[in-house]
Amino acid sequence: MDNEKKNEDKGMTRRDFAKSLVVGGAIGAIGMMGLYSYSPWRKKHFAKVEPKQIDIGECKSIKIINISETSWFDNKVLMGDIKGAGGLLVNQYEYNWPPFSDIKGKLGKGSYETGIKHIKQYLPNNLEKAWQFQMENAVHPENAGGYACLIDVELLDGSHKKILLDSGWAYNWMDECFKREGIDKMLMKKEIDFLVISHEHFDHFWGLPVTLKYYPDITIYVPEGFYPEGKQYLKDSGHRGKVITTKPGLTPLFPGCALYTFAIPIICRVYGEQSLYFNVKDKGLVSVTGCCHQSIIQFATTGRNTIKFKKLYGVYGGLHISPFEDWDPKYDDLVIAFKNYDFEKVGCNHCTGIVTAKKFIEAGYPVVKGTARFRSKDTAYLGNGDIIEF
Amino acid sequence: MEEKTERRYGEGYLEERVLIPRWRAPWPQIVNLLLILAVFYISWWIFQDRRGWLRMYTPYLGYMYTRWILIVLIWMVYIFEFWPFRRRQLETWHPLWKGFIMTCVMTGVLLILIKIFFEGILGNFSMAYFNPARSMKLPGITEFFAIEYASLACLMFAAIASWLSPSWPVAMENVPWQNLKQPVLGWTVLIVTFFIGTIVYLCTMHPHMGILSYPWQRFASIAPPYWEKFANTVSGNFHVSWIMCCTITVWLYETIWERYPFKLIKHDTLRRLSVFFGIIVIAWCFFFFLHFAQELWWGPAIRGTRMDFSPDWRWLHVGETMVFFLIPALFLTFYCNNWPTKYSAPVNWLIRTLIAIFGGMAIYWIYYNIGHLTLGTQKGYAQPEQFPMIPTIWLINIMLINHWFMDNWPGWRKAKPEEAALIRKEKAPTVSAAKLAPAGIIVGIVIGIIIYFIAIWLFPILGKLKWVYT
Repeated sequence: MDNEKKNEDKGMTRRDFAKSLVVGGAIGAIGMMGLYSYSPWRKKHFAKVEPKQIDIGECKSIKIINISETSWFDNKVLMGDIKGAGGLLVNQYEYNWPPFSDIKGKLGKGSYETGIKHIKQYLPNNLEKAWQFQMENAVHPENAGGYACLIDVELLDGSHKKILLDSGWAYNWMDECFKREGIDKMLMKKEIDFLVISHEHFDHFWGLPVTLKYYPDITIYVPEGFYPEGKQYLKDSGHRGKVITTKPGLTPLFPGCALYTFAIPIICRVYGEQSLYFNVKDKGLVSVTGCCHQSIIQFATTGRNTIKFKKLYGVYGGLHISPFEDWDPKYDDLVIAFKNYDFEKVGCNHCTGIVTAKKFIEAGYPVVKGTARFRSKDTAYLGNGDIIEF
Repeated sequence: MEEKTERRYGEGYLEERVLIPRWRAPWPQIVNLLLILAVFYISWWIFQDRRGWLRMYTPYLGYMYTRWILIVLIWMVYIFEFWPFRRRQLETWHPLWKGFIMTCVMTGVLLILIKIFFEGILGNFSMAYFNPARSMKLPGITEFFAIEYASLACLMFAAIASWLSPSWPVAMENVPWQNLKQPVLGWTVLIVTFFIGTIVYLCTMHPHMGILSYPWQRFASIAPPYWEKFANTVSGNFHVSWIMCCTITVWLYETIWERYPFKLIKHDTLRRLSVFFGIIVIAWCFFFFLHFAQELWWGPAIRGTRMDFSPDWRWLHVGETMVFFLIPALFLTFYCNNWPTKYSAPVNWLIRTLIAIFGGMAIYWIYYNIGHLTLGTQKGYAQPEQFPMIPTIWLINIMLINHWFMDNWPGWRKAKPEEAALIRKEKAPTVSAAKLAPAGIIVGIVIGIIIYFIAIWLFPILGKLKWVYT
């Protein structure tokens, strides 16, 4: 009987000890969570990133012609469409925006298949006809513009490489811009080495047939992540050349130039974006972007961790900060942090947003101002037809 | 009889309600889970999905309504104890009818709150950003963003309310008004929590809205906000996150933790204050830890970036992650009778917490792997216009409606009075209060610290694996 009692007592003690372990364990673990997890000591647990310092070579200089940065002409109209269709996550092919409008296409009720069938036969040689259909049927075709720029790279030996970054959106507008800047002739003479599509968004990619009208077998670089509609459009547009899909990471193109692809989700159901690095001799790294959804800070940081170069020198392109002239305090984080990167020349436009450009100027950053011609709205940033050199 | 006249409305209804499963386990759980998921998916398609009917996932509009539904449910059940519904109605109405009527009332309250209080009163007489029509009169503001900004402000308010509204009944035990009857008690607690919530809003969220405008509204709010250096961001997501951690901690404390450990404190005032502030302390521990976990998993945040490396997203993702843990915790309480119940309180606590942690991780993994295929969302972690709190809270709202309004129908039925009395007798407390051994506690603390360091050693290794389909 005594032994039983002793055992019972012993058992109780063990159980109590187990309970105490649980209570103590919770105190220990939760306490450490609070005391250690945001302390300066935590930083010693961060993995050290050894910069890869890949040598992509150097180029002598680059000149960028802004063919068009005005992706849409009236922000209110575009945002009205986005609101009406259901917000920023709606699949871009469902808007019934040009050039994928169905007959009397209703906002938010379209698809690639119902749209392309009306214009496929006209691509890429009869774009006037294809656009005429859009003017009669699409949702706000008059609001479509597009983004594209020509990058003229001078190599160390004095030769040149020309890259067309993006092909805009509206066929009529892009054709007009191409003619204005002489891009049509360069394409016809095959002076442009390749077309880089930064990402699948309507305002960068849907104007593809305008490029193909002049140079149907041009080599095209697209980032990994295109949806089936985008891949099909490459074919339906009448492209007869090579399509190179870049994997996430660095893709050197020629001395002093490399693409970098980011596997990132983007509004309007788009995935993946690629941007360009140029290592300019005696100056440093120049980042050229379409929309830069990955953020210019991320792009600069990735450059630092990946490429061998002298310093961060310049930026050109859309920086995707306030594309709809909207704002969020997290964008202020970018404006505040931007000074730490010490860029010497900032040529921004497009989805950077006029508000951001103004904030950059107020912060004292070296923003290159524009001329606000050809439907660009403000001199705070580089407008259509403006040129920047690095 | 006397009890019935005393309990005119729903006071004590949830505590006294005895639910009997209609079938042997696990069938009631499976049936209810399937029903909840079906209602979730249909309602998601109707209200939220970008491919669906109303397409409210713009994202902030749908996000705001999702959050406020949660608050109104909490008000109706926790603060007003079902007032103005009568006890007899709660006991005799069919669960489907009750669910329908109460959901209609919830919708009415929701619309009054958003359209009259926020848009009409605050938006017209205090802060313009609450009213889209007023914001649109300002230059450069489109209708879309006017609605998004107003929704953002409302949902930030909701985050605070989701913490404070249940905190007063759970932590402060409704003192000093606990002896008031409904609806006086409800109105009193609502006004008090709303008042405190308004102060918290002005100190935490209003500065976020103040720098949303160009130029910064320096006369109207603190700009840049005071938390900038500590949080490495000027975004109010920093506050949304710790407040969400408080909200989840209140619910964990109320459900799977069965109000342990604070209920062991016998002194009333000390206990109440300990619960209220203890929840905040525990929440901040989770808050820092989950932020650190991300730093270890993905690498440190880089200020000025977008998506998964930006500090504001990292903070917000802490709150988002916490909500994933709440789903299994609520399921365990609502549909599994808070299993297990046979061990001592600390052991039950530990097992349930582990279920919530691993269950939450499993739901997190499922969401990021199939969410884009089923919910119309974008694939990948950090689409800036996408918030996992929308589907997770939407699901929680449906669980709350099923459990609170519909008595777990169809898997359960309410016991008849004689059955209930018998079950209550059988359900005499089986949990022994912990008799704690100081040596055990000390050893436990050491083990807890070791587990913590094992976890932070493991995170960078796990972070290198491909977990999410992209």
